[in-house]
Amino acid sequence: MLTFNQQPESGIRRGRLSIPKKDGEDSVQKRVIETPGCLMYSAKGSVPHLTPDNVRLQDFGGVNVSMEHLLQNHHPAGLKNWDFDLAKFLHLEEFILLCQLRDTSAFTKLAPTTDRFVTLTTFQGIRQFTLQDYFEVVSAYRPDIVIAFTDNIAETFRDPSTVLPGKKRVQRSVDRSLKWLDQTLRVRAGGEGGQDEAEKKASKNESRKEQRKKARFQQTAETSEVESGSGSNATTPASTRAATPSDPATTTQTKEEAPRSWADVAVFAQVHGSDLVSERVRSAQETAKRDVDGFVLDVSGLVESKSMTKNAVLNCIKVSTDHLPTDKPRLVYGIQTPEDVLKAITMGADLFDTSYPFHLTEDGKASLYYFKQPAIAGSTTTTSIGEQRWINLWDDEHGDKFVPLLDGCECYACKGGRHTRAYINHLLKTHEMLATVLLMSHNMHQYSKFFASVRQSIEDGTFQKESVLFNERFGVEPDRTGEIHAAQAIVEASLTRRANRLEGAEEGVVEAIGLGPSPAGTPVPQKRHSEDMTGHADKKPKPEDMA
Amino acid sequence: MKSALTWDVLAKCSTTKARAAVLTLPHGPVNAPVFMPVGTQGTLKGITPEQIEGLGCQIMLNNTYHLGLRPGQELLDQCGGAHVFQGWNRNLLTDSGGFQMVSLLKLAEITEDGVQFESPHDGSLMLLTPEHSMSLQNSIGADIMMQLDDVVSSLTTGPRVEEAMWRSIRWLDRCIKAHKKPETQNLFAIIQGGLDPNLRKVCIDEMVKRDTPGYAIGGLSGGEEKDKFWRVVSQCTDLMPRNKPIYCMGVGYAEDLVVCVALGVDMFDCVFPTRTARFGNALTSKGTLSLRQAKFKDDFRPIEEGCDCIACKSYTRAYLYTVVTKETVGCHLISIHNTAYQLRLMRQIRESVIEDRFPQFIHKFFKDLFVEKSAYPEWAVNALKSVNVDLMGGEEASK
Repeated sequence: MLTFNQQPESGIRRGRLSIPKKDGEDSVQKRVIETPGCLMYSAKGSVPHLTPDNVRLQDFGGVNVSMEHLLQNHHPAGLKNWDFDLAKFLHLEEFILLCQLRDTSAFTKLAPTTDRFVTLTTFQGIRQFTLQDYFEVVSAYRPDIVIAFTDNIAETFRDPSTVLPGKKRVQRSVDRSLKWLDQTLRVRAGGEGGQDEAEKKASKNESRKEQRKKARFQQTAETSEVESGSGSNATTPASTRAATPSDPATTTQTKEEAPRSWADVAVFAQVHGSDLVSERVRSAQETAKRDVDGFVLDVSGLVESKSMTKNAVLNCIKVSTDHLPTDKPRLVYGIQTPEDVLKAITMGADLFDTSYPFHLTEDGKASLYYFKQPAIAGSTTTTSIGEQRWINLWDDEHGDKFVPLLDGCECYACKGGRHTRAYINHLLKTHEMLATVLLMSHNMHQYSKFFASVRQSIEDGTFQKESVLFNERFGVEPDRTGEIHAAQAIVEASLTRRANRLEGAEEGVVEAIGLGPSPAGTPVPQKRHSEDMTGHADKKPKPEDMA
Repeated sequence: MKSALTWDVLAKCSTTKARAAVLTLPHGPVNAPVFMPVGTQGTLKGITPEQIEGLGCQIMLNNTYHLGLRPGQELLDQCGGAHVFQGWNRNLLTDSGGFQMVSLLKLAEITEDGVQFESPHDGSLMLLTPEHSMSLQNSIGADIMMQLDDVVSSLTTGPRVEEAMWRSIRWLDRCIKAHKKPETQNLFAIIQGGLDPNLRKVCIDEMVKRDTPGYAIGGLSGGEEKDKFWRVVSQCTDLMPRNKPIYCMGVGYAEDLVVCVALGVDMFDCVFPTRTARFGNALTSKGTLSLRQAKFKDDFRPIEEGCDCIACKSYTRAYLYTVVTKETVGCHLISIHNTAYQLRLMRQIRESVIEDRFPQFIHKFFKDLFVEKSAYPEWAVNALKSVNVDLMGGEEASK
């Protein structure tokens, strides 16, 4: 189980999340998450751009994994093949692993949640995800923390003039989420699926339709996935079973294979209420009555709506946390920038994710901000107004700067001056992937240092003072517009031109005066090593290829 | 000619022409035979220098043409060369920029002066002369640099081949003259002559007189028949001085490496492992796995059992299936694996030569990769036969 130890004396919340080491020779001692702190954002179970060795150079103790990133069409049925858990599958054994339903770095709208399912976007298509599906997934994944199945009001409203959901819709989301939470807690404790008779009947019918739909998805997914020349489409027994409308008993949890117990998985409940104070209070109070291990406040929808000021959104957080128990952690999604994080902490937030450094990296930016400690050791701490919070490595001015991203930074990219602004500018302009590896290493490191300094200042009693100084120094993050840098546009245009120009060259004849015809532009003929398991086109296929 | 390397042969195979050696260059020793991964633009497909070192790589390639365009000579001079620029403290080898003429461009005009071509990035005209190539390569600062040669496709026939051969010799002389740093950078000559044994012999005779620190076999790997390819390689290694490293450019696939080592080649480079990784293809001793295929979705084995690369130590094929071609880490992981595979193969070859059991290694290698003898490529069988390894006849038939 999860333990959350809070230091009570400080006015601002300061705590630590830890998981005791499990029994068994395979188990490892997990990292702890100090709070205020972060979980690492992941895409498809990996921290973007960072291989496992580079991930471990970061100071973060936990990883946030989204179910919709990993869900495949033959899941959850195919998860019965798993005799390991998600931490092992993702090689994140020493991290505290938290599972959320959907991607947390950006708010995306989808089909409305219904009484029976939540809509997810998987890499194989849109998926209607039921509570039963969810239970099967959780029992296979067994993360350290799972966020309860919930209604997040992620739909596009029928009436486009409505920016925020109406009261009835909000009430429904609060009610539904509480009901699903209760069912989740019951199942976790080893109880029944928790459906009443009417629901069971309805879910049987729904499931048949859903199964047929899944089967259609499956076939199209598999046809498009398999490369030519590979022989047969490998289908697992579970997937062929789903191809026909099957016995209702098999669509819910199969009786003969009891799902693995997930009694020791911590459950965080999401509290809702949109911008309606009464609903926010109701959701918080009711949720607080349940025996959950932590709370989630996802305000990304409110931020995305752009119909509320940031301060109004932050206040919504406080409205909820005022009615939540103080001895359990509060995870906030949708609040990302350092200055917003500082405010959210005063509103009672403990945990965030690393979407912010991820977004900076995607834009080609490297952070320069700091909290309390000056970035350059030994420099004076006089307040300067309007310090640069990041540099954009696409800018031409960095092309000849043979200095690290940030002098004195100890991240992988900057340490010892091994990599320079000039080099990263070059990598961006030549469309080389090492650019984002280095920027991500740096930005993640800066974010973790920011949090470490925040925690230190809470302990020192200087948090308020330093927050003011931070805002004076670094102001407010400009909104991400989605526009790409002019230099990036040039590179992408030139790559397109090159692709067009080379089309003839790579496919066949190089029309060079004095050079005879040559079959390929590349040093290696195209036809070799066909897309299957055989070493050569002329090699006889082995039996296992035909599986 | 002055040399900035030493070449120490540790062992010779008693059956084939293979040898194991240590090539000591300004940025450290290199175990030969060696495969050099290609980091074209001063980076190896998202792999960090630390990770490359961790794979045991001692030398990699940079591309003169690309670095000459970006970041450009001035910036390289400013910071002190490509090693410093990319944070790579081990050895580098640069090609002359000439191969891009054949591989990248629709229009190129070759004159005695040099090669004029259109930049694929912005359409501007560039003239690459031997002098300019040397100047660029001096600025890049690689431990080994290649002469500018008049590259002709191996499928070309007629007088053009001979013309290119003689021009390459003349350009070699110009390169030697223009090379400003022979104390720290080793210039290699590139033997040309197409598929014509007479021309190859003439070229070797002439170039050997110039006494460069090492030699490369050029003008191959352009799609010529493999059965012709190996004969040219073998002839060259017979005629070239054996007290210097021999480099076969643009090779290649695993079986090509094994055969060419048996024929006496010491150094190789190829973009294939990292390029194919980008498409989700993982190299193993039993063939290529195309990890995009749905059949791997529940395959909970590592790419290759016994591989100690980070991809194989961390993940299963089932997980990699979800990320290859979709997340950058997918590309990094397969690139790391494929590079590890190639380097491990060379290590195993080298060990077997040192322990004088290279023929047994060759037999096992082909069996693992092709399974049935009927599937063994004919050219490889022929080539190995020429160095006393009878793939079809079994190990007893080889010495």
